[in-house]
Amino acid sequence: MNSQSHWTQLAPLLRDVERPSRYINHEWGASLKPGADFSFCMVYPDTYEIGQANQAVRILTNAVNAVPGLRAERAFLPAVDMIDQLRERKLPFCSLESCTPLREFDVLGITMPHELAATNILEVLDLAGLALHAKDRSEEDPIVVGGGPCAYNPEPYWPFFDLFSIGEGEELTPELVLRIKELRGEGASRRQILRELSHIPGVYVPSLYKPVDEMTAQVSGSWLEPLEEDVPRRIKKRVFNGFSASSAWEPCVVPYTEVVHDRLNVEILRGCARGCRFCQAGMMYRPIRERSADNIVEGVLEGLRATGYDEVSLTSLSSTDHSQIAEILTRLNSALEGTGIRVSIPSQRLDSFGVEMAELVAGQKKGGLTFAPEAGTQRLRDIINKNVTEENLFSAIDAAFSAGWRRCKLYFMVGLPEETDEDLKGIASLTQRAFDRARSVVPPEQRNKVQMSISCAVFVPKAQTPFQWDGQISPAEVQRKIDLVRRSIKYRGITVNWHDPKTSFVEAVMSRGGREVAPWVERAWRKGARFDAWTEYFNEEAWRNAAEELGLDIEDIAQRSFEPGYVMPWNHISTGVSTRYLVMERYRAEMGQTTPDCTFTACTACGACKSLDSQNDLAQGRVLPKGDTSLFVDDEEADS
Amino acid sequence: MADPRLFRLRVSFVKQGRLTLLSHLELARTLERIVRRAGVPFAVTNGFSPHMRIAFGSALPVGVGGREELFDLFLTNYIAPAKILPLLQGASPLDLMPFACEYVEPQAPAVSVAFPLSTYEAVLEGGLTSLVIPEVVQVKRGKKEKVLMVAEYLRGDVEARSAEDVEETSGTATPQTILRFCLEAKPSGTLRPDKFVEAIMASTISAGGASSELRSMALTRLNQRAL
Repeated sequence: MNSQSHWTQLAPLLRDVERPSRYINHEWGASLKPGADFSFCMVYPDTYEIGQANQAVRILTNAVNAVPGLRAERAFLPAVDMIDQLRERKLPFCSLESCTPLREFDVLGITMPHELAATNILEVLDLAGLALHAKDRSEEDPIVVGGGPCAYNPEPYWPFFDLFSIGEGEELTPELVLRIKELRGEGASRRQILRELSHIPGVYVPSLYKPVDEMTAQVSGSWLEPLEEDVPRRIKKRVFNGFSASSAWEPCVVPYTEVVHDRLNVEILRGCARGCRFCQAGMMYRPIRERSADNIVEGVLEGLRATGYDEVSLTSLSSTDHSQIAEILTRLNSALEGTGIRVSIPSQRLDSFGVEMAELVAGQKKGGLTFAPEAGTQRLRDIINKNVTEENLFSAIDAAFSAGWRRCKLYFMVGLPEETDEDLKGIASLTQRAFDRARSVVPPEQRNKVQMSISCAVFVPKAQTPFQWDGQISPAEVQRKIDLVRRSIKYRGITVNWHDPKTSFVEAVMSRGGREVAPWVERAWRKGARFDAWTEYFNEEAWRNAAEELGLDIEDIAQRSFEPGYVMPWNHISTGVSTRYLVMERYRAEMGQTTPDCTFTACTACGACKSLDSQNDLAQGRVLPKGDTSLFVDDEEADS
Repeated sequence: MADPRLFRLRVSFVKQGRLTLLSHLELARTLERIVRRAGVPFAVTNGFSPHMRIAFGSALPVGVGGREELFDLFLTNYIAPAKILPLLQGASPLDLMPFACEYVEPQAPAVSVAFPLSTYEAVLEGGLTSLVIPEVVQVKRGKKEKVLMVAEYLRGDVEARSAEDVEETSGTATPQTILRFCLEAKPSGTLRPDKFVEAIMASTISAGGASSELRSMALTRLNQRAL
């Protein structure tokens, strides 16, 4: 059946489903590469409006399409109403560009963006008509590749993927697809193909390993042992060393329907070396690479011309850390004056958000501003290595509210290692003082417009971080802590939001579990769990019952703490940061010692540059904002 | 509203194919992006949150196409229509292609209310032996149910003619019915053309004028006129 006929079958359904524009393709910038016979489909395991702006989808479809003979398309999991329609009518899950059933592609890439997408990955496979388990797929079925943040602990997903791509995919993904094309051309079997692919740096083929017992794991340093001599023991992530020099304008699709991050997104730098000890992104994107101001300004202007967007976001993990951020903003502000185009920055660090930055990103429209002190006391902020002070927060608040902002959101985490009730009361105290501070710099007649909200996330121990050995607190304890924060807030102008401890619990199991978790995911999905990240669909009962039936102690997986250095289930996957460094960081946390950011000071020996044969690549030297001493190492620390 | 220093350009475009599935809001956002991509000197509102000075024609429901849809764009410089049209066309997807533009008086009525008479054409799959036009149409909006008197909105008769859809490869012909009617938008409200067609089909089927297999295949606004 050709693609035209698939579209003819789908089209009549679109009049009766919500937001049909999710499914129609033909967006500005979308294109079907002609004359390329080997096909790759990049699948995002959530709906179009959640996934369309995803960076991996944009980057990897561009990278594969750039290779002669290879064609890349997009697919997004349909919303529940459409899924039900497809199943009822036995229609296939199709790609957008050519409306080809996913099962007919040569290679599928499924991004694993966060822990709560696990059941949606199974939904993707099932809706595509593929066997859930890689071992049950036929020779004709596509090779299914997983990648993205959750690939740093791929074990809970291991049976569902043929292989995982670890790290940045700019080079690895096209390399992989091309190699599969060659091998398929030579008539290699599925098993032979996977064995060959395991030799490519950054590729992890889970079926080529067997689990070992705890004792062996602790001695050998890995819970898995290669089945064959030529299969690597440890898989190091891939780094895209060409990032800085690559064009900041990456052609993208302009959606019709409103999506999250619906603007021109220009990635200005990759990685963050601030070294917050809970943060997985801060460990997995090292070393730090910046694109130059010239590259970024040209890229933004070209991107705006090509897309017609009225907003551009300068994205990264910590955009105000860019060594040329002031120059970039100044040049963009002047180039875009009178066009009604807004320049925004997704996250502002407290210590680099000064008066100057406030003026530069102020632009015209002042929505809400978000800062993340993460913890309520200096003691705990030192433990997590947040490296911001109360003074940083207050000066940022002064700058923002003097510059015209009236709304501010503060992010905190509860359940952090070493946390006490004093730290939770500290959240209330810090926010109330910040609120007073904001009111004091605002003209009297506008004081009642000042709004502040705090958002409490539950600490989820993440693989590959110094806190990977720390268990999560129980959902009941989370609730007690959140209630304590809420009771401690005396101001009516401050609102408190918090994450559901039940979903954070599932995240922790997925984040820390090994191969024993995979059957749990599958069972929960069979019991109806899907779209777990959507509050209205999260099905706790399915997850609970699945664990009970399997006799799996999920509390133990989420909540047990280990000695730093204990070999965890993902030890065979490397971000480049050494386990030794993670152990050292965990001890420094216990002692309340901070570690500086190597892009502002000197190397802190995390091991990434050496291990990955790469290095920080900054546009120019980074300079600390005036008066900020938070990053300097004191003598006591230098001695240790 | 009328700023004498600005030039008011009225653009006619089609809404067809898959893009009939855009909602009015999605269409509006898309048109703004087309204008920005075209690189034409659009005017921007003054004030705290400046945005493009653009005004959209009356809305079409999701799934309804248009042969001659309209928007007004305010420009800071005069550019000849023959020069500006290709710029807009180069920035538009095929199914939203502009095909004409002309300058209109700055003080002319808003494009969304200037043309209250809309003529629609519906393509139904299936033949009719008789056509029954209902007197009222019930529409649901959230929990509220409204009863609209057809006579208040319908101008002239509903014309029906039969046609055939011949499939190219197999040569099999399916009987079709083409309906044509004109609805007037009132300041107090409108009768949605898709709801009207549904109601016509329901009353015709229940009176035995057509089989229950009757399906609406396409609905298109042919033109919009002033009173």
